[in-house]
Amino acid sequence: MTQPDHAPYTVDETRIIRKRQAARSRVMGVALVGLCILFFLITVVKVGVWG
Amino acid sequence: MTTAVRDIILPAEWRDFWALTKPRVMSLVVFTALCGLLAAPGTINPVIAFTAILCIALGAGACGALNQYYEADVDAKMARTARRPLPAGRMDRESALQFGIALAAFSVGIMGVAVNWLSAGLLAFSIFFYSVVYTIWLKPNTPQNIVIGGAAGAFPPVIGWAAVTGDVTLLPVLLFAIIFLWTPPHFWALALFMKTDYGAAGIPMLPNVSGQKVTRNQIFAYSFPMAAAAILPFFLAETGWVYGVASVFLNAIFLILAFRVWKNEALDAAHMKPEKQLFAFSILYLFLLFALFAFDRMLIA
Repeated sequence: MTQPDHAPYTVDETRIIRKRQAARSRVMGVALVGLCILFFLITVVKVGVWG
Repeated sequence: MTTAVRDIILPAEWRDFWALTKPRVMSLVVFTALCGLLAAPGTINPVIAFTAILCIALGAGACGALNQYYEADVDAKMARTARRPLPAGRMDRESALQFGIALAAFSVGIMGVAVNWLSAGLLAFSIFFYSVVYTIWLKPNTPQNIVIGGAAGAFPPVIGWAAVTGDVTLLPVLLFAIIFLWTPPHFWALALFMKTDYGAAGIPMLPNVSGQKVTRNQIFAYSFPMAAAAILPFFLAETGWVYGVASVFLNAIFLILAFRVWKNEALDAAHMKPEKQLFAFSILYLFLLFALFAFDRMLIA
C-alpha cells in the first residue's frame, strides 16, 4: 500500500483546502459560462444570423 | 496546481493565478490595444472587437505568467517582486508554466478563428518575443534589454489595428514606434532609483552596467525621437488639432522632466525626485497620448 508523501491534513488544513478548491471551482465556472456565451455570440456573428 | 507550505500541500488560490498575469501591465496593454482598435479605419462588430481585446489581454497574461515562471529565482532577490506567487512559495513553477502556455495557445487560437490570422500571428510573435527573446535572452545578458524588448510591449496597438483592418499601415507602425521609443526613458528612470534592487538580482540594467550618467544621457536622448514619433501623426494629417495640440503639450512636459533627469547628479535613490517624477509621468503620458489619439481619430471618422 502506497504511503502519502505528506502528513495527514488536520481539520483546519482540510477546511482551507476545501475553501480554496471551492473558490477556484467558482472562478472556473464563471469563466466557462462566459466563454460559452462568447463562443455563441462569435458563431452568431460569423454565421451572420443577425445580418 | 499545488504548492508546498511547511510540510503539507495546499492548492494555489485563484488570486495567485490572477497575480501571475501581471494585471497592472495587462491594463496598459489592453488600453493601448483598444486605442489602436478604435483609431483604425473601418468597422468591426462589437463582439469581434471584444474578442480581440480579450485575446490580447489573455496573451499579455500569458507573457506575465511565463515571465514569472522563468524569473522566479530572480524575483525572490528583489523586494519589489519577492511577494509574487512563485518566490513567495504560494505556487509551484510547473503550474505557472502550464497556465502561461495554456493562455498563450488559447488567446492565439481564438484570435485566429474569431478575428483574423494576421492579428493572431502578431499576437503569437509578441508573446514569443516577450517570453523568449526578452525574458530568456535579452534581460539577463545585455543592458540594452529593455530597448529591444520594448518591441514586445509596442505590439498591442498594432494588433488592435490589424483586428479591424486586416493589414498594417504607416499609422500603426508609428504607434509601435511611440511605445518602442517610450520604453527606454520609462524603464531607465525606474532602473535609476531601483538600481540596488536590480543589482542584487544580477540583472544588467544600464545604470548598473554603464553608470548613472550614461543612463541619464540615454534617457534624454531617447526622449527626442519619442516626441518626434508622437507628434508625427498630426503633421502627416492623420489626426486633428485635438491630438496635435495635446501631443505637443504632453511631449513638452516629458522633455522638461527628461531634461531635469539629465541634469540631476544624485547617486542615491532618496535624491532622485526627477527620476521618480519622470517614471510616474511617463505612465500618464502614454495613457493620455493614446486616449487622445483614439478620440481624435474617432472625431475625424
